[in-house]
Amino acid sequence: MEAWLSKLYDTFIATGHYKMMLDGLKTTLILTAGALVIGVIIGVIIAVIKYFADDVPFLKPFAVIGDFYVTVIRGIPVVVLLMLFFYVFLVSAHGIVVGIITFGINSGAYMAELIRSGINAVDKGQMEAARSLGMSKIQATRKIILPQAIRYILPAIASEFIALIKETSVAGYVAVVDLTRAGNLVRNNTYDAINPLMIVALTYLILVITLTQLMNALERRLKKNAAHDRNH
Amino acid sequence: MQHMIEITDLKKNFGTLEVLKGIDYSIDKGDVVCIIGPSGSGKSTFLRCLNLLEKPTSGKIVFEGDDLTDKHVDLNQHRQKMGMVFQQFNLFPHMTVMQNLTCAPEMLKKLPHEAAVSRASELLERVALSDKADAYPAQLSGGQKQRVAIVRALCMEPDVMLFDEPTSALDPEMVGEVLDVMKNLASAGMTMVVVTHEMGFAKEVANKVVFLDEGVIVESGSPEDIFDRPQSERLRGFLSKVL
Repeated sequence: MEAWLSKLYDTFIATGHYKMMLDGLKTTLILTAGALVIGVIIGVIIAVIKYFADDVPFLKPFAVIGDFYVTVIRGIPVVVLLMLFFYVFLVSAHGIVVGIITFGINSGAYMAELIRSGINAVDKGQMEAARSLGMSKIQATRKIILPQAIRYILPAIASEFIALIKETSVAGYVAVVDLTRAGNLVRNNTYDAINPLMIVALTYLILVITLTQLMNALERRLKKNAAHDRNH
Repeated sequence: MQHMIEITDLKKNFGTLEVLKGIDYSIDKGDVVCIIGPSGSGKSTFLRCLNLLEKPTSGKIVFEGDDLTDKHVDLNQHRQKMGMVFQQFNLFPHMTVMQNLTCAPEMLKKLPHEAAVSRASELLERVALSDKADAYPAQLSGGQKQRVAIVRALCMEPDVMLFDEPTSALDPEMVGEVLDVMKNLASAGMTMVVVTHEMGFAKEVANKVVFLDEGVIVESGSPEDIFDRPQSERLRGFLSKVL
């Protein structure tokens, strides 16, 4: 036990490596948060375009582009995308920026799909009832469809967020020192493999468990709100 | 006199399937029209074409002088005057009964909240559901839901009410309460178009009955014409199965 503690001290404290790990954690969180914001924005834009494309001919080509984007992004491993952006498309940008953009663009494709399926999960009769009262599609969507769809969409976005945290662990491929990369550097510098890697693993686990708890609480609240309104 | 709704050569295809094969009909103010026919005959599609929930493949729907199939017509404006009641009720589950009733009048007719509430309360009382104003749809029985759905449409003060099999999804013991509300509505002079399997209701309340089969109007006329003096083999066959 004492030997292990002194090993820990040597690996992290004496050498100042704990700071590297903390910075890595910070970078992981920045990558994830930035990508989430970009992902949600892209997802919403594509979902909205596809949603209205049937009614607004002008949007049709954009919907096709959106479909193309979703297909392409979902078919390429994110680490390959990351390297493409870093070494080919965004050569002069900083690694973290490239990371945020890549993970954001990647996540956007999934967000678009989960927003679309959340809206589709609302019974078709709801839109018909709203339209039959004289609401426009936009009015009906805002007042009737979205408040119901959000109950399917929010938990799905929360899961996407959790997946994103782990996804960013490949950022080290483009020289970004995120949590994973920091742990690996400490291993490299200290010849102590088990402790840095276990701490990295444990940190991800704690992050994910915490967020899952939050997500469950959110879902419970949405369910409670929805409890009184199952229609049949 | 101008008809309230005038339907000319209405056709509707779903893909290669011809559901409506050219329907001509007109509905006047105060009419209670019941549309009967076997399932798959196109009754619901016909009704849903009247307010363009289904877009006709061809033909004209002239409502109060305006052709609804014309692209330049403000459809939302006209739909405010055509209330619709669905088989599955389609109440808004995330709103209370009162919010279901006041939401459209406030949003579309810019009715002040108090005015919308007082009108809704009055109508709710007429269907004996005043005590359910703050309930959510899931807390209501099927019959109560359908009565609320009727009131929701009435709150827009429509000129005509369209009913799409309003009692088909109800337990048998709740059919009566919904039909009663519809009878009262009819005797108050509301123009109504009702797709129904309730032959008793059609006989008693309608002044016009339309028998639709395979996308065409096979017979139409007074309830006596249809039920007591059916002309065609198809209508006779249908009636022998349902009566």
